[in-house]
Amino acid sequence: MTPKAPIIDWAGLSPLVALLGGAVIVLLVGLLRPRFVREVIVPLLALATFATAAGLGIWQWGEQISLISGALRLDQLAIALMWIICATGAAAVLLSWRAVAPREAAHGEYYALLLTSAAGMLVLVAAQNLVTLFAGLELLSIPLYVLCATEMRRETSLESGLKYLIIGSVGSATFVYGLAFLYGATGSTDFAGIDRALNSSSLVSDPLLLTGIALSVVGLGFKASIAPFHQWTPDVYEGAPTPITAFMAVATKAAAFGAFLRLFDGALLNAQADWGPALAALAAITIVVGNVGALGQTSLKRLMAWSSVAQAGYLLAGVVVATKLGLQATVFYLAVYLFMNIAAFAVIIIRERQTPLGDDIAAFAGLGTTAPLPAAVMTVAMLSLAGIPATAGFIGKFYVIEAAIDGNYAWLGIVIVIGSMLSLAYYLRVVAAMWMLEAPEAPVSTVTGRPALAGGDLDAPAPGAGIEVYAVAAVFGVATLFFGIVPSPLFDLAVKVGSSLTSLF
Amino acid sequence: MNIGWYLAVSTLIFSIGAAGVLTRRNPLVILLCLELMLNAANVALIAFARMHGNGEGQIFAIVVMVVAACEVCIGLGVVVALYRRRLPIDVDELRELQG
Amino acid sequence: MSATTAAWLVLACPLAGTVVNALGFRVLRGRAPGWIGTLAIAAAFAFAVVAFFALQSRGPEQRQLVSSLWDYASIKQTTGVDARLSILVDPLSVLMILVVTGVSMLIHLYSVAYMGGDRGYTRFFAYLNFFVFSMLLLVLAGNFFLLIVGWAFVGAASYLLISFWYRRTTATRAGIKAFVVNVVGDAGLVLGTFFIFRHSGTLDFLGTFHGVGRDFASHQGALTAGLILLLVGAFAKSAQVPLHTWLPDAMEGPTPVSALIHAATMVTAGVYLIARMHPLFEHAPAAADVGAIVGCLTLLIAGTIGLVVTDLKRVIAYSTMSQIGYMVMAVSAGAYVAGLFHLMTHAFFKALLFMAAGSLIGAMAGEQSLDRMSGFKRAMPFTFGCFVVGGLSLAGVPPFSGFFSKDEILFIVGHQGGWHWILYAAGYVGALLTAVYTWRMIFRAFYGPPCPEAAELEAGHLHHAEVHRNPATGEEEDTDVGFPGPEHHIAEREPSMKVAMGILAVLASVGGFLQVPGVTNALDHFLEPTFADSRFNQSPSDPGLVTAGLVLGAVLGLLGIAIAYVVWVRRPGTSARLQQRFAFLHRLFVNKWYFDELNEILVVRPFMWIGRFGQQTFERVFVNGALVGGTTGLVKATSAAVRAAQNGFLRAYAALLMLGLVGVGFYFLLQAA
Repeated sequence: MTPKAPIIDWAGLSPLVALLGGAVIVLLVGLLRPRFVREVIVPLLALATFATAAGLGIWQWGEQISLISGALRLDQLAIALMWIICATGAAAVLLSWRAVAPREAAHGEYYALLLTSAAGMLVLVAAQNLVTLFAGLELLSIPLYVLCATEMRRETSLESGLKYLIIGSVGSATFVYGLAFLYGATGSTDFAGIDRALNSSSLVSDPLLLTGIALSVVGLGFKASIAPFHQWTPDVYEGAPTPITAFMAVATKAAAFGAFLRLFDGALLNAQADWGPALAALAAITIVVGNVGALGQTSLKRLMAWSSVAQAGYLLAGVVVATKLGLQATVFYLAVYLFMNIAAFAVIIIRERQTPLGDDIAAFAGLGTTAPLPAAVMTVAMLSLAGIPATAGFIGKFYVIEAAIDGNYAWLGIVIVIGSMLSLAYYLRVVAAMWMLEAPEAPVSTVTGRPALAGGDLDAPAPGAGIEVYAVAAVFGVATLFFGIVPSPLFDLAVKVGSSLTSLF
Repeated sequence: MNIGWYLAVSTLIFSIGAAGVLTRRNPLVILLCLELMLNAANVALIAFARMHGNGEGQIFAIVVMVVAACEVCIGLGVVVALYRRRLPIDVDELRELQG
Repeated sequence: MSATTAAWLVLACPLAGTVVNALGFRVLRGRAPGWIGTLAIAAAFAFAVVAFFALQSRGPEQRQLVSSLWDYASIKQTTGVDARLSILVDPLSVLMILVVTGVSMLIHLYSVAYMGGDRGYTRFFAYLNFFVFSMLLLVLAGNFFLLIVGWAFVGAASYLLISFWYRRTTATRAGIKAFVVNVVGDAGLVLGTFFIFRHSGTLDFLGTFHGVGRDFASHQGALTAGLILLLVGAFAKSAQVPLHTWLPDAMEGPTPVSALIHAATMVTAGVYLIARMHPLFEHAPAAADVGAIVGCLTLLIAGTIGLVVTDLKRVIAYSTMSQIGYMVMAVSAGAYVAGLFHLMTHAFFKALLFMAAGSLIGAMAGEQSLDRMSGFKRAMPFTFGCFVVGGLSLAGVPPFSGFFSKDEILFIVGHQGGWHWILYAAGYVGALLTAVYTWRMIFRAFYGPPCPEAAELEAGHLHHAEVHRNPATGEEEDTDVGFPGPEHHIAEREPSMKVAMGILAVLASVGGFLQVPGVTNALDHFLEPTFADSRFNQSPSDPGLVTAGLVLGAVLGLLGIAIAYVVWVRRPGTSARLQQRFAFLHRLFVNKWYFDELNEILVVRPFMWIGRFGQQTFERVFVNGALVGGTTGLVKATSAAVRAAQNGFLRAYAALLMLGLVGVGFYFLLQAA
């Protein structure tokens, strides 16, 4: 008897193949000697790879098919999240163009790792099986551990890498342990099989299953920075190279919430009575912890990290309700989150490269008069994160609150509003610093490649904030504003995505 | 033999690993403890696979092993980088990032 | 081009003008901003005309078009929050955009010269364009959502323009007053919308109207309450008693602003609102009656005050109030077409009067008191001519436009019989008052011996004041920033002012022929599709009443002019004697029926007292102490705790993770038990 290989739908698999193939090509081309090839061709190839994957996504849009014997599923949810991931990846490539990190880690490796991580995210959001879910999670995490530590001469970069690795591995171990229990309780690693098992038996109060759910909540919660599993977030975000921070903040979150949606709103939907209240409580804790943690931060990367914790709480509300509206709201919010976060990080990078103050809020004092355009982008991003009307963030938050109330979690909606109120305190502080403080006199112009404290060599040329960083800031800032005024294209997208998890209504 | 025994062993291994992560300060030892935690999952997976009589758990266990190897690789790489920078190989000393 | 496309372009033009002027204030030189603003409005007018023809080319049944640009926040189709950006193009809104853009265009043209010497020239046109945009948004809105947006924008634009000369304390105070009263109205509008939305379940106008019989069958009270709240909004915008006190003060703004906002367009928003909501008002006659009575009261009260005010612009302002009283009365009593007809003719002649007044004030170098003016007839023949045309029209002398529109209102109101006869009679009393105060103003300013300024002008030199004084308080003013500056412009010397006034004079003269009883009924015909569902749609035919009304109106108009002539030209002392004789009435009128004082006692003082209590006691003890102190303390403590946990120790992080794991695990295992 010859074993029958599973039928592989290469067309459906093509985005993933493109990302992984691109990673290999980038890695190999990065070995070539000429500086031009390494510093220009390699990032361009990475960009092209992201563009190809996104384009293949457009080609496959509308399909709802299982790939590789039900290991992965290609549907609108997977493709929409892949677009978010690819957009973030492309932005990260542009933001890294003149950064220190790729020079230090060799361009080929750096961009290849970025692409691999994105491929892992794609696997994660398309996973239909516990094995692929875990494999995707690790494929996204392991390259990120390395990327965090790429600025090898900077102590904090190494520290963040090691912290992320160790805490991340604890999270992964917990997660896989939880998955093992889920498998044990249901006898299947397949999501459809789990769903069937939960449907047909009184399994929903089985201790084995519940332990499994608890452990996987922790594992995924860790990736999505849900409190109290969030503590790595501020440290890692601050220590990692800023383009990587931006990538982690957005893409990892999108991937983790994709996995949340697949696992909880898909496979475990029938046990919603078990996990719903727990996740809701975690969401509330996350919102509070994230917002109060951000108060009084002076490092903007840290502030953005805490803010991302809080945003994770808002997003989780969309998962908790387990309705179609919740799914749509989550996807919508993730898209909005992409625009406003990347815009903010692009401006942070601009300032980081222009002043010796790094990402400290002091670097933003008086930016409104010295550089009105980045300041305007930052203002839009901050207001959007705070959820002020006429920005995309407002609509996103509105959608999530609507979903929470519609799903009988009105109190969670109230917590979201309270969290937003708290968040104004720190977002507006940044805005105030830009427009109301005086610019520091005589800006110190001797910015070197690396902070001298960390032993950087002072001769290295300062990486300027090139046109590409400004372009990223402008594009994503404008998108934040545009979708705040004309949200219907994103609405339509979210509604289409809403049809991908068929068991929700 | 009852599945409970296997689970007890696996839980024990997981707890030992977790305790090690919490108490040890040397990143190398912490990485070893992480291996323990992952292998606890492997024990559980194999046991469940036997219980259900299907191969899915075994495949899962192999994937977990691969992942565990990767994680250790990365961990060792970071430790070497730390060593090269003449930084202390002690996680308690790494607290530049806080607040 | 379809009617809706044209309507969107009507909206887009002034917005573009605003943006160009607002962003280009450093670049634009000379009178360029004025011409940009004027062109933007002219383009809007052109598109309004296109929309008109496109609409007329459709069958009468298909003249209600709704067009949406995009959904703003229609998340769930089922909850029905259809906050779409949609406009409603029908004969009513097209009439309004024609009037608004047409009159605005002329006023912009006038302002190009009139505001010529002002430091804030660009700012002025940016504001003025913004105002026109807001007003068009208001009249084109296809649902309550956009209506509220336009309503609030108009209030904001009005505030900006009233306090345009922000160094003038009286102007800023007037701006604040207008804004506060308008916000009272906004609150009414929003609350009224809630009342209606609660039962109708839709914000869309047409949806609400179609479902009114079904949705409110058992909620009559809610509908009436909602409509009365809407009326509060309408009264505040249209300066009806008792929310009228801001309008006379609003005359602190530049004269073109008075002409545009406080005569021709914004103050008619309330009239438009009532007309737009007519299907609702017809289901709640009680609310409609409130509107009619308030309109009638306003027209009388404003008319009496107009008799004694000495500030030139304020006379016209009170006259505006009074005329809008007619319109509100008309649309509330079912005389929709007549009310809108009067709205249109009033826009012509009142804008004309304001422009002419502006010219006169220019000649007086900023002075506005009638006591100081006299004998300008020979010095300013063109301005005088405009005043006469406007005055005849306002007084309702045939064949000028005001005559036909006012008589049509009173005819239809009277035709309803019953207690409407009181309104009818009051309307004619008001007409007499109108004629008297209008011509009092004209006779005092243009007849008699020339005042020094007039004499100077006759000698060929335009008077310039050495120091600028606030016409209201006599304070010396800072002309360096945001103030008209030393230059003044009068119609006699500025072609663009002359053209604008000339066109309006023609319109004020012939505008009435659209609706001559028994001869033409162009407006009736045009507006038919909007009001087809109304039970007042069949215009009554009662030739006897019509003729009687026309004769009575003409006689009263001429009588008023004659009285004014006798009192202020023929026997100049009569006015003083009358003042002594009726000292009580005179005091009442001069003090504007004590409405400001009444507001002060009934509203302002209690609110101030509550405010002071709130500030000094409640806020200090409860809000600052318990609420704010408690909350911030809590937040600070939580923040400190969270950040203390973030101590950088990797093992502590792992420990918390484990702790969380144990917690979550316990929760789930408790579920199992």
